[in-house]
Amino acid sequence: MLPEVAAKAVEQTAAQAGAEPGGGSEFIMHHILAQPVIKLPTIWGIDLTITNHIIMMWIASALLIFVFTLAFRKKNKVPHGWGNMLESIVVFLRDDILIPNLGDEGWKYAPYLFTAFFFILVCNLLGLVPGATAATGDIGVTTTLALMTFFIGQYAGIAKHGLFGYFKHFIPPGLPAFIIPIMVPVEVMSLLSRHIALAIRLFANMMGGHISILAIMSFIFIFKSWIVAPFPFLLVLFSALLEVLISLIQAYVFTILSAVFIGLAIEEEQ
Amino acid sequence: MELMTPEGGTLFWTALTFLALLVILRKVAWHPILHMLEERENRIKESLDKAEKARIEAEKTLAEQAQIIKAAQKTAQEIIVKSQKSAESVKEDIVKQAHFEAEKMIQKAKRDIELSRDKAMEDIQELAVNLSMTATEKLIGRSLEEKDHKKIISESLSKLEDMN
Repeated sequence: MLPEVAAKAVEQTAAQAGAEPGGGSEFIMHHILAQPVIKLPTIWGIDLTITNHIIMMWIASALLIFVFTLAFRKKNKVPHGWGNMLESIVVFLRDDILIPNLGDEGWKYAPYLFTAFFFILVCNLLGLVPGATAATGDIGVTTTLALMTFFIGQYAGIAKHGLFGYFKHFIPPGLPAFIIPIMVPVEVMSLLSRHIALAIRLFANMMGGHISILAIMSFIFIFKSWIVAPFPFLLVLFSALLEVLISLIQAYVFTILSAVFIGLAIEEEQ
Repeated sequence: MELMTPEGGTLFWTALTFLALLVILRKVAWHPILHMLEERENRIKESLDKAEKARIEAEKTLAEQAQIIKAAQKTAQEIIVKSQKSAESVKEDIVKQAHFEAEKMIQKAKRDIELSRDKAMEDIQELAVNLSMTATEKLIGRSLEEKDHKKIISESLSKLEDMN
């Protein structure tokens, strides 16, 4: 019985697709792309319109500030409840990301890395709330974060080694002189591309997860059949659980890579 | 709104939001948490160090005490031996003294006995003299001159003694 229904549904879908091309993908794109919420004027070529992604970012920030203020409100020597959980995450970030990659100098970059981790994590997880979207699924948001890592790394490197000392980083030691003109652009490209990859990795992971969930979900509406509905439902459930995992992993990956890149900038010449 | 093009507005708002969040969380969370963690870790380390020190101290004290006990035992042993020795000598002295005293008493007793015997002998002699005088008087029927009598008897008694 099931194959017959499926065959019929596919036939119908094909017919529909013929009738209105791109219907499904438009529905998905609508949910993925930033939607303007409050129209604001364009100043100096920058469109200041508040999109739903920016609203989500504000919600995430407010949530973080609220939770952290609540958890560490009192000058408790021993944290309770939420404070315990947040503290254990902070300890993990400090002992497994900050200190191994940045050593004793890492304390200066702790606020940035910690904020980035929690901001990305909460944005990712909020994206799983029905009706909400992940701000980190917006290339603009991830680009900003990657740019911050980039500028902090450059600033840290120049502050530590001096302008000239830092640019010596782009010349790998022990190379014959005639290779240097080739190697310097390669090194610069590597520096830029790893930060671009940082932005795209987070964006693509979050956006991809949402696209897959929406695509699977849209099967129900494409097939318009109650019998088909449980399968997309189970798949979406699985994908959503996977998204929880990916949210954590991507927040972790972004933070540890930021730490590694800053560490690369401040490391001593071998 | 393109998918792969970062919008200027998004960049601006993200930077603004993130920096504000960074500043607030730095004050509200990161500094207090890191400070608290450091403080707590230092306290734990200190406590452990203190415990270790206390343990070493206790071990030292224990060793010292053991040594003291050992020394005390040795001293006690010495005292016992010494006192046993002195007790032995005291005992010997006492026994000697007692022997001496006893000897003295025996001597004295012997002397007393001798004296008593001599005295008794004298008494007996006198009594014998008197008895014999009385008996002689009765037999002879007249009284002899007491003086003469005594002399005669004494002489005869000494003769008896000589014979003995």
